[in-house]
Amino acid sequence: MSGILTGGWEFVWAAYGVTAAVLAGYTLSLVVRLRSERLRREREASRASEVSS
Amino acid sequence: MGKGGWPFAVAGLGLALLVWGSIWGLAFAPREQYMGDVQRIMYVHVPTAWNALLALTFGFGCAVAFLLRGGWRWDARHEAAIEVGVVLGALLCFQGAIWAKPTWGVWWDWDPRLTTTAVMVFAFSGILALRRFVEDPARRAVWSAVATVIAFVDVPIVYFSVNWWNSLHQLQSTPATVSSAFHWPLRINAFGVLFLMSGWIWLRARLAAERLEGELAPPLGGIELAQRQPLGGTS
Amino acid sequence: MSQFLAALRKDLLLQWRTRSQLVAVFVFGASALLLFSFAIGPNAAALREFAGGFLWLALLLASTLALADSFESEMSQHALEGLLLLPADPRALYYGKAVANLLQLTLLGAALVPVMVVLYDAGTARVPALLGIIVLGAAGLSAPGTLYAAMTAQVRARNTLLPLLLFPLVVPALLGAVKATSLVILGDPMGQLGAWTGLLVAFDVIYWSLCGLVFERVVED
Repeated sequence: MSGILTGGWEFVWAAYGVTAAVLAGYTLSLVVRLRSERLRREREASRASEVSS
Repeated sequence: MGKGGWPFAVAGLGLALLVWGSIWGLAFAPREQYMGDVQRIMYVHVPTAWNALLALTFGFGCAVAFLLRGGWRWDARHEAAIEVGVVLGALLCFQGAIWAKPTWGVWWDWDPRLTTTAVMVFAFSGILALRRFVEDPARRAVWSAVATVIAFVDVPIVYFSVNWWNSLHQLQSTPATVSSAFHWPLRINAFGVLFLMSGWIWLRARLAAERLEGELAPPLGGIELAQRQPLGGTS
Repeated sequence: MSQFLAALRKDLLLQWRTRSQLVAVFVFGASALLLFSFAIGPNAAALREFAGGFLWLALLLASTLALADSFESEMSQHALEGLLLLPADPRALYYGKAVANLLQLTLLGAALVPVMVVLYDAGTARVPALLGIIVLGAAGLSAPGTLYAAMTAQVRARNTLLPLLLFPLVVPALLGAVKATSLVILGDPMGQLGAWTGLLVAFDVIYWSLCGLVFERVVED
């Protein structure tokens, strides 16, 4: 491969953009999933204490 | 910062490093001789590659630890590491395709590096699917650990494929193969992704552990994860 | 060793008793070969060029049926638990089943060759070489295939899970087998057959040892 590539910034932005999207998206999904798991456990714990009381 | 905040701090540090390294790589690093500005994709692509392989290797370690010693925490970490490895691996393929189009003229090529990487991502995605389909937690843990051990054979092959075969893909990025002007943004981003990935695995393992506790606990009240021993490992 | 032979004998007997199923699997493979040819159309040169690839694709698809079948009898009436209660090494059970599957897949592959020769005009004089490649490739499918068939036979979504798990794993073996077969059919001017066969052998050695090692964890209770 000879010659010098000029420009191509749209590919650079695309690559960095995809990366940022995936990094942000996965982090967000972790936060959301953790939060819903917490809520589920709180709900179950309160139900358990209702039954036992 | 409370007990639960450390993974977020680690991930946050990773993010900060990534921003710093990326700005350096995008704006201040010199233009490469042959590929021009397109080469700047390297500053995200190579760190992603290193950390995808690292995550899967850590997952392999967790699988072996689980098979040999037992313990639900290893299973939780195993699940986390595989999921993070697949996410990073898939991202890697997208970044690579975007880099390939202007430099090789095609989005994809069936050369050894790309083929083995695609195989790796598919194989570990299959293991995530396996985990979804098996309901019994003990079986799920043992089987997916076995599957990871088997699938891991591909990981070193991915890494060394560019040395063993005539590949379209470049050789590994080391101080010997990469010009020194590019080192610093690459290193910074590498640590950035490393810390982010570690924070991710930490959090995802926490999620897995909490779900396991929910599965293993009797309907009313729970039993701490540490008190339950799954089958597996020598006794 | 005797345990292995006993297990092998059991599995060969099982296969013999259910041989009508094997015929059905063969028909499936032959139909696949026919359907693949439609992707190329009436282009004789292209058909010959891709015959090796299509042969192995057909065998791969057929193998998921054959491999799943191989554990069918173990699942009914809890035969698998019965087997494991015996003081037998689970590894002997695994290798007995894996070798039986290897023989069955080799038979399937060999039976599909005439179909390939006719449909794709892809004959070769190097029959022993072709047979050797079929054995090595079948071995590559059989080792992980038997392990994963044992696993997926015990869950509900088995028909989806087995191919999902198996296919990525056997890509190197598939690649080696396809390249080697194509070289045998089309000619090997640069003497590459050894390299691709080497890949197949390496794959087989690694997976036959690894899968045997972990099998007992897959069937324990």
